[in-house]
Amino acid sequence: MIEGSQQYWRWREYHLVFPEKRPKQSSIITAGVDIGSVSSKAVIMVNGEIYSISIMRTGSSSPDSAKKVMEWALKDTELKLSDIHYIVGTGYGRVNVPMAHNTLTEIACHAKGANYIWGPTVRTILDVGGQDIKAIKCDEKGKVLSFLMNDKCAAGTGRGMEVLADLLKIPIEEMGAVSLNVDEEPEPVSCTCVAFARTEAMWLLRRGWTKEKVLAAYMRAMAIRMCNLLQRVGCESELAVTGGQSKNVGIISRVESLLGMKTLPMPEWEKDGRDPMAAGAIGAALFAKALHEKAKK
Amino acid sequence: MPFAGIDMGIQNVKVVILDDDGKILARSISPSGFEPAKAAEQTFREALSNAGIRRDDIKHVTATGAGLDMALEADSTISMVAADAKAGVYLLPSARTVIDVGAEESRIVVCDERGNVLDFTLNERCAAGSGAFLEAMARALEVRIEEMGELSLKAKGTASISATCVIFGETDVVSLIHRQEPKHEIARAIYDALAERIISMVHRVGLKPSVILVGGVAKDIGFTAALRRKLEAEIFVPNYPEYAGALGAALHALAKAGGNIQ
Amino acid sequence: MDFKRSIKEKKYVVEISQREVEELRNSIRAAYDKVIADYVERMKRGWAGRPKVMDYFYEMADFSRREKELIEAKSEGKKIIGYTCVFAPVELILAADAIPVRVSCGLYEPAKIGNRIVPVEVCPVIRSTVGAKIIGLSPFLEQSDALITALTCDGMTKLSEIMSDYKPVWTICPPRLKDTEQSLSFWRSELLTLKANIEKLTGTKITGKSLRRAIERVHRANRVFRKLQNLRKEKPVIMGRDAMLVTQIAMWDDLERWTEKAELLCIELEERLKENNLACPPDTPRVMLTGSPIIWPDNWKLPNLIEEAKPQGIIVADELCSGDRFLYDPVGVDEWTFEDMFTALAERYLMPSTCPCFTSEAGNEDRVNWLINRVKEWRVEGVIYYIYRGCMLYAMEYMRIKHALDHLNVPTYYLDTDYTREDVGQIKTRVEAFLEMLKARIEI
Repeated sequence: MIEGSQQYWRWREYHLVFPEKRPKQSSIITAGVDIGSVSSKAVIMVNGEIYSISIMRTGSSSPDSAKKVMEWALKDTELKLSDIHYIVGTGYGRVNVPMAHNTLTEIACHAKGANYIWGPTVRTILDVGGQDIKAIKCDEKGKVLSFLMNDKCAAGTGRGMEVLADLLKIPIEEMGAVSLNVDEEPEPVSCTCVAFARTEAMWLLRRGWTKEKVLAAYMRAMAIRMCNLLQRVGCESELAVTGGQSKNVGIISRVESLLGMKTLPMPEWEKDGRDPMAAGAIGAALFAKALHEKAKK
Repeated sequence: MPFAGIDMGIQNVKVVILDDDGKILARSISPSGFEPAKAAEQTFREALSNAGIRRDDIKHVTATGAGLDMALEADSTISMVAADAKAGVYLLPSARTVIDVGAEESRIVVCDERGNVLDFTLNERCAAGSGAFLEAMARALEVRIEEMGELSLKAKGTASISATCVIFGETDVVSLIHRQEPKHEIARAIYDALAERIISMVHRVGLKPSVILVGGVAKDIGFTAALRRKLEAEIFVPNYPEYAGALGAALHALAKAGGNIQ
Repeated sequence: MDFKRSIKEKKYVVEISQREVEELRNSIRAAYDKVIADYVERMKRGWAGRPKVMDYFYEMADFSRREKELIEAKSEGKKIIGYTCVFAPVELILAADAIPVRVSCGLYEPAKIGNRIVPVEVCPVIRSTVGAKIIGLSPFLEQSDALITALTCDGMTKLSEIMSDYKPVWTICPPRLKDTEQSLSFWRSELLTLKANIEKLTGTKITGKSLRRAIERVHRANRVFRKLQNLRKEKPVIMGRDAMLVTQIAMWDDLERWTEKAELLCIELEERLKENNLACPPDTPRVMLTGSPIIWPDNWKLPNLIEEAKPQGIIVADELCSGDRFLYDPVGVDEWTFEDMFTALAERYLMPSTCPCFTSEAGNEDRVNWLINRVKEWRVEGVIYYIYRGCMLYAMEYMRIKHALDHLNVPTYYLDTDYTREDVGQIKTRVEAFLEMLKARIEI
């Protein structure tokens, strides 16, 4: 199931099917496809429950990525693409999802998805994607009340982590934990420009910093950017983190200590597919169900 | 007696050796790597052997560059801005504006006829205003950076991309590829975007002719063409533009230790 | 003697060769002709069943027709008086038989040329206007015999100085406090000085009779304009960006001809309202724009994005000095004596203004109240607070406005951009997410 690879930046691409959610004759089958700048996610739902999920790297073509990730999600499911009643596309490549019946922005989908993953108590969502950061406030139904995004510059987003993984030769999934292995929290790096992440880190290493310390400094700078955005939108409890960096304990713990507030715990996503990284696709599949039901009426 | 200048760049270490008439005896370059001090030592030795002289023959060494503190033992140091001005006037006596576009930093320096700095500006720490932009875009376009310049010269200028951030620029390049925009047009758009960032910096300090373009990116014909298209002034590009910093440092060493330029 | 010379000396002008000026002007003019044609085309496509009279406004959206008329009028001895800011009373210009035209520039490329004189941190209206002047690009700016500038924000203040390198500039200074006794008398005296300047340039004395005629002419435009704005309270019979274009054209068109055409448009739209012939579905989220001025054509990127978005939105109202603020309020004359008219004129250009250059203990409450009124009467469902970089006063007033609108339970989105065409992709996601959010609220 895990795609073997030597490259450190490569995070785990996976596909999970939950056979117990297998569709029956009368089931409503919907799907959400989230084409992000870095990763593509597809979720198939049966009556609003996750049946199949797949996550892979976005290729250079959005339509191809959409097709591939959807095909993967359909694998081992007894379903064909035509069996799906309604598909919603989201993410930065949403207009390039050829099989989608409708599109929605990732902001709406992440809020809806977080509401599904953690329940109605979620009020604020921090979504850290490959090239952007979003702070979203929502109500108990997962409807967006307000939101903010980084602009002009992709500094401090997930892409920088990949660059560092490669440079430091640390598997990307372990970077967060490694960064916590410092005696004292260093000063944050002054520049979180993604394109400079590599040389910024080289500089520090040349000065005799350990890998752990370099990572800690970089992640602290990222966390500060995220907290600024959260504070501008007005961070309320409970706070959920979605997107590619939701599993990065190095960032999450720093956000928590800067805000003085806990984030919602990582669900046991391997058991039921509630992966915060796929919150956008989950939300899209839920919207697909609502739109399908509305169309039938 | 010879003099040496050493430029501790983020990507490369460069060394220039001058004789006491100010003539260039040798140049040498190598990647900074993980141990810049070692790289500096090595490059310096190479330059010495190119010049056919020994370490003891050197009267004065001046260091410059972002990694100044990691250079080998130098007799004096000089800022990159000052080095640019000195090298600019040395290479082109009428030069009053020096544009230095490097891997991670770009500088515009306005100077007088003796190479004294009158005004300058630097790009903020953002890759979109430096050579790193071109490298990232070449990757996105899937062409070798050495070939991108030539490629861009065939274009008419039908495309444009965002130069606000490298990452967004990459996204633009990818979407242009999808729209089946020819590669040479995208290549030109990439150079235009960088040239525009540089030109807005030039206007901030005010353009004073003559203009000399130095730094590693000056070797890229795609970039020089874009800059010439957009900047209303003659632009002089010297041979070996990447050595400007080291040359400026060497000139400083020469001035400091008493020689005089012819 | 020395002092006089220092006034004549160019203060800001940069050296630039005639050849470069011409090259830049030609290439930029070609670029913006393309932008205008494209935007007009998109507006036409977005409203296929539009009334025929809209074609008049689309034609006027291209500056060249009006430019020809201005050149002709000049050759007949008429004076053209440009103004940068809606604080300039057009009635005074009309009363002296001169032609008023707003000269603030909405073009992207000249903003980059403006960088040669002013730093990039300054707002694009100023940079673009300066850049346009450097290369002689804007037909309205070029044809103006003199300029009226208002010392409102810092940008406008220094723009006055820069422009005075090129043309006679008459500055008027609105007081930053509105409701003290001195405020009005000071402002009135500013306008009296302006009146004298206009008379001197045109050689025409502004009399009670000519002023009354000018006020009445503008009254007719006010009435038609209010009718148009009031129609936007109802079900959508006109797309917002089209209504905004109609408004904007009033700033360079012949006011009487504009009034006539806009009247025809209103009559047609009233018919359509009765027939339920709508420009977009009635449940389209209703958006109001407020913040930095949105100037044709490059600023149109935001109205375009809103009304072409998925889900689509419709702009039903605006609080912009490039829109509603220009014509909504008439001069309220009690008695048609010169003194009374002049006081009424001064009041009209001071009291209703919602410009953030004003302050008061309650925090520019005129703007707040105005926005609250619009939200209620125009049934606004979401407010986009539009800021471009460097527009300090509007940017700083955001929190004040947001707090007020939060009480009404109307969401506000702060959108920060520039004239650049590069960030359309990023802004699109934000606008669409905001509209989705509104749509979800409506559907509750």
